[in-house]
Amino acid sequence: MPVEYELDIPQSLDEALNALASDNGSSVTPLAGGTNLIIDIRSRRERPARVVGLDYVSELRAIDCTSERVTIGSRTTVTDLLDSAEIAKAAPSLVDAARVFAGHMVRNAATVGGNIACGSPAADLVPPLMSLDAEVTLSSKSGSRTVALADYFTGYKQDVRNADELITQVAWDRLPEHSVNTFRKLGRRKGDAITVTGVALTVVVEDGVCQRARIALGSVGPTVFRARQAEALLEGKVLSNELFDAAARKAASESSPIDDVRASAEYRLHTIETLTRRLLTQAWARLA
Amino acid sequence: MSSPKKITLRINGVNETLEAPAHRTLLEALRDLGHVEVKCGCEKGDCGACAVSIDGVAVDSCLTLAWMVEGREITTVSGLGDIENPHPLQKSFSDLGAIQCGYCTPGMIMASKSVIDRNPNPTDDDIRVGLSGNLCRCTGYTKIFEAVQDAASVMRGEGDKQ
Amino acid sequence: MSQQNISADAQPNVKYNQVGKSLTRTDAPGKAAGRTPYAGDYVMPGMLHMRVVRADIASAKLTRLDVTKARALPGVVCILTADDVAGREAATDIPGQTGQKRMDTDQQILVHERVKYYGEPIALIAAESRDVANAALELVEFDLEPIPGVYDPEEAMKPGSPIVQGIDNIVAEHKIRKGDPEKALAEADLVIENTFHTPFQEHAFLEPEVGLAWTDENEVVNIRVSTQVIEHFRAIADAIGVPHNKVRIRGALVGGGFGGKEDVTVEIYLALMAKATGRPVRLEYTREDSFVGHGKRHPFKLTYKTGVTRDGRITGMDVYILADSGAYVFLSPYVLLYGAVAAPGPYKVENLNVYAQAVATNNMFTSAFRGFGGMQACAAYEQQMDEVAKALDMDPIEFRRRNYLKTGEAISTGFVPPSAIWTEECVDKAWAALGEPTVSSDHIKIGQGIAAYQQSYGRLTFLHDTSECWVGVEMDGTVIVRSGVTDIGAGQISALGQIAVEVLGVTLENVVIYNSDSAVTPLAGTTTATRALYMTGNAAKMAAEAVRERLSERAAREFDVQVDQIHMAFNVVSVIDNPDKSMAFVDLVKICASEGIHRSELSMFRAPFSDYLNPETGQGQAHPDYVYGAQAIEVAVDTDTGEVEVLKSIAAHDIGQCINKAAVEGQIEGGTQNGQGYALSEEMLYEEGKLVTPSFSEYLMPTSMDMPKVQTILLESRSGLGPFGSKGIGEPALTPVAPAIANAVANAIGVRIFELPITPERIIKALKEKQAAN
Repeated sequence: MPVEYELDIPQSLDEALNALASDNGSSVTPLAGGTNLIIDIRSRRERPARVVGLDYVSELRAIDCTSERVTIGSRTTVTDLLDSAEIAKAAPSLVDAARVFAGHMVRNAATVGGNIACGSPAADLVPPLMSLDAEVTLSSKSGSRTVALADYFTGYKQDVRNADELITQVAWDRLPEHSVNTFRKLGRRKGDAITVTGVALTVVVEDGVCQRARIALGSVGPTVFRARQAEALLEGKVLSNELFDAAARKAASESSPIDDVRASAEYRLHTIETLTRRLLTQAWARLA
Repeated sequence: MSSPKKITLRINGVNETLEAPAHRTLLEALRDLGHVEVKCGCEKGDCGACAVSIDGVAVDSCLTLAWMVEGREITTVSGLGDIENPHPLQKSFSDLGAIQCGYCTPGMIMASKSVIDRNPNPTDDDIRVGLSGNLCRCTGYTKIFEAVQDAASVMRGEGDKQ
Repeated sequence: MSQQNISADAQPNVKYNQVGKSLTRTDAPGKAAGRTPYAGDYVMPGMLHMRVVRADIASAKLTRLDVTKARALPGVVCILTADDVAGREAATDIPGQTGQKRMDTDQQILVHERVKYYGEPIALIAAESRDVANAALELVEFDLEPIPGVYDPEEAMKPGSPIVQGIDNIVAEHKIRKGDPEKALAEADLVIENTFHTPFQEHAFLEPEVGLAWTDENEVVNIRVSTQVIEHFRAIADAIGVPHNKVRIRGALVGGGFGGKEDVTVEIYLALMAKATGRPVRLEYTREDSFVGHGKRHPFKLTYKTGVTRDGRITGMDVYILADSGAYVFLSPYVLLYGAVAAPGPYKVENLNVYAQAVATNNMFTSAFRGFGGMQACAAYEQQMDEVAKALDMDPIEFRRRNYLKTGEAISTGFVPPSAIWTEECVDKAWAALGEPTVSSDHIKIGQGIAAYQQSYGRLTFLHDTSECWVGVEMDGTVIVRSGVTDIGAGQISALGQIAVEVLGVTLENVVIYNSDSAVTPLAGTTTATRALYMTGNAAKMAAEAVRERLSERAAREFDVQVDQIHMAFNVVSVIDNPDKSMAFVDLVKICASEGIHRSELSMFRAPFSDYLNPETGQGQAHPDYVYGAQAIEVAVDTDTGEVEVLKSIAAHDIGQCINKAAVEGQIEGGTQNGQGYALSEEMLYEEGKLVTPSFSEYLMPTSMDMPKVQTILLESRSGLGPFGSKGIGEPALTPVAPAIANAVANAIGVRIFELPITPERIIKALKEKQAAN
């Protein structure tokens, strides 16, 4: 059949949540930037009966930075991130990722919420957000709840979001002074490339001791995930190159990549290890 | 299934109306209206040939639904200038050999305009990053980089460097 | 022209007014403004929209095809299957272009029973709208019963392998022999043997295949189509069963070709449907259709045995080439011949044996692609030159220097190119421009590489190539050029204008060029084989010169001087020794018009004709002439991740004579992008013949972030066979790029990767193997 669906264009968040609740949410899909979803619908990978377009839900497009916390509305675009001086300060890894996110026009359309919701292990904003301990707010007609991004995904393209829920915002506590937050991805080319392996890193150091380590890995498992064992090797320790080697190896061992058209699992394991080591070494050099 | 809806929008400064079903993309709608200067290269946001601006923001029209642009201002490459009175980007692309087959050109110029709008004095790196969503198979981009720099200097009022 | 007098510092011996300048191309302003209609931009009242139903298994038997449901969908107007084409077939072998006898290599138009490649068309749908056509596509039901296929040319040659073509899958063989290669290799101080693999490549023109067809009042099927070859009207007529004069191709400016629009693409489907429905029909390939719908670059396996003396002189060479022709023959025999002729490269090899085979498989068929076999050979011979130099512990450029073919010496086929051979000059200039290497750091290794080449321009001389062009002057002094030549983006038609105005002494803004109509513009041949400028440029120059001669004679009478005293430039006609005697060009034209002096001319240019090469030795003339040049590359390789960044890319080519300098540079810069993708990132992956990378997010050509600014060095020997001593640059621009990159990577990491593309993955694997070996 033709690629047909009902399209709702709510003018407010309330209207959007109402629309998502219709049909018991059985075959309803929220549409943000459309840079994945439109393609998926055209190719029949997604077959929603109803699409809820969020372009006019303007309250979801906002960046709010206080001295304690950063809150990003889910309709904030990748370009909005790049244009924000406050995000540049508060979340360098997010800017690293935004800069190499697809191409210019896609960055103008694609959103933070959409990048999470698409559920791809290659979604470039997710490792940085996970490395920042971001929390996702899910809202529905019946209320809101907050889920740690690290607990959001349950499997390949599967998540905890109910069909009537909408990702409305992403938020995290600001990092302390003595910290490094970075992201590096490998693609098969430099411009407009889907991630082959991606590593986001947060290291917080106080008095020479690693207080917090976050290593979030992209494209090396069914979802983006945190390499918690590798993090554990670093936390509470005085950092050293030996520890970085061990953590990098551990990060690779926590990964479960697949072979696909972009790279082999073997290459992904190799580069997860080398990238993790390199980011840790560079972070340490900056903190020292 | 959804029935067609009447959409009114402004295209290159002129009010236009179209009737389209929900799944109609802006690319399809623009071409159906005769704006065939907007090119279809992949319909997946991979090539940038269909780039237009919506209220001043460059997007891939293949990834935009026509219903979402009701009442908004669309600019295509033909809205920037014409053969007699070209926009500085159109003139620089044309005069400096940045156009070969020309199929990527409408999108490339719209993306280039967005680069300059965001930063009137772009570095080469700004241009590279800004055009990475626009594929070109003919030019190797070298003359496109030169044309964008040339047009930017003209637009800054530094005169025609040629 | 005396070859001995050609030096790298040769200066133009005449000052041109128009030729050689970077003039704004005639087609550029319209393209910049979005005013240029491409083939897909035309619509007609009552137009139907087509889609193609394709096989989703590469080797199968069609056991059931049921279009009942699709036909029943409201808005579906017509569905054609093999039953509707009555067993007709379509030619794939340079059909209809030369009048020569064709090989028996026809292709079924729609799958009758046997599917031979993934994506092979099964049915054609025409509907009132795109939406309905798309919906009908999913309602066509068919069953494919898999048949064992073969996906590797070496497997395909083994006894008992599934047969795709002929009796043994071998679709072409070529031999080139001279001297005593066996003896030379036996007596060489050193014999180096290596095998190189080159991959499939997608043309990736930005404009997918598209066309609009309708039947006119004379029962002529008109097809407005994006094509490099309007001469296909004959093959299309044969395929649909009408006389040749009942098909008319009206081209448009083409949104990129690169050889991918050299074969027939959508034309026959359009023609069949226009005939069947009596209505205008439009067919535009999706990008995925395009990926599976036209032939790719042939993957080659090339084994080189090079015998050398200790002091670095090549004494003998043995080359074996195996090409994957895919499921249908198309231009495989010719691509293979180019590869065989090019095999030794721009080097003097007195004792040579080349044996080349093209073999059918159930992979996507392979055909023309910019470089046409010559570039695959270059990818191997230039890597081999570096490997031999390494074995000799000799500088790679010094090794090349001791073996360059020189002007006046014979190439592999024994033919002596009539023009300059400036390989050495190009290599030296490119290498000098590359400069000192950037300093390597911890995990970033810098490497530099060079590659030289020999690439033909003009078609195979045994095809007896001709080209026509008409030039006329209107009564107001404006100029019209008419030629069937297709413009695929490189400025083919603007160059004709530039040539005509140079000869006529007018300026480019006064010219309009009509092109690409098989019924009303004189047939120019194809825009392929780096021949458009050479062939049609010469025809344009001949036509313009004939007009100029008549105008000059009249001007000489007017001024009462000898004809050779007449000077025509910048729209003014004057007397050389007495510049006070002058008149506006337009006034001379008016005089001529009033006196009935013929102000137009139709000219035909004929390339040199030759017999077919000796089938046993490959000796004879294959092409009119050759282009020589070099690419120098510097790369940075990240040894942790295998990423390669091209830091510097310098191209030096002897193009004979620039017609439009910016256009020449642009072609070279674009060829560099194509070659860089071929070397590093572009990969067509097939699983059992099924393409698993059918999009621009999976098939990765270099973006603006991947390309360095390409530096171009133009040498002008003025020795070519084209107008004003020009050669051609379309294909040569691409040829040396990949091996130069490969050589730079090998230089950076100290190990060679013998298979393109050099992916990060392959680099890491090679580095690990190297580490393990140490």
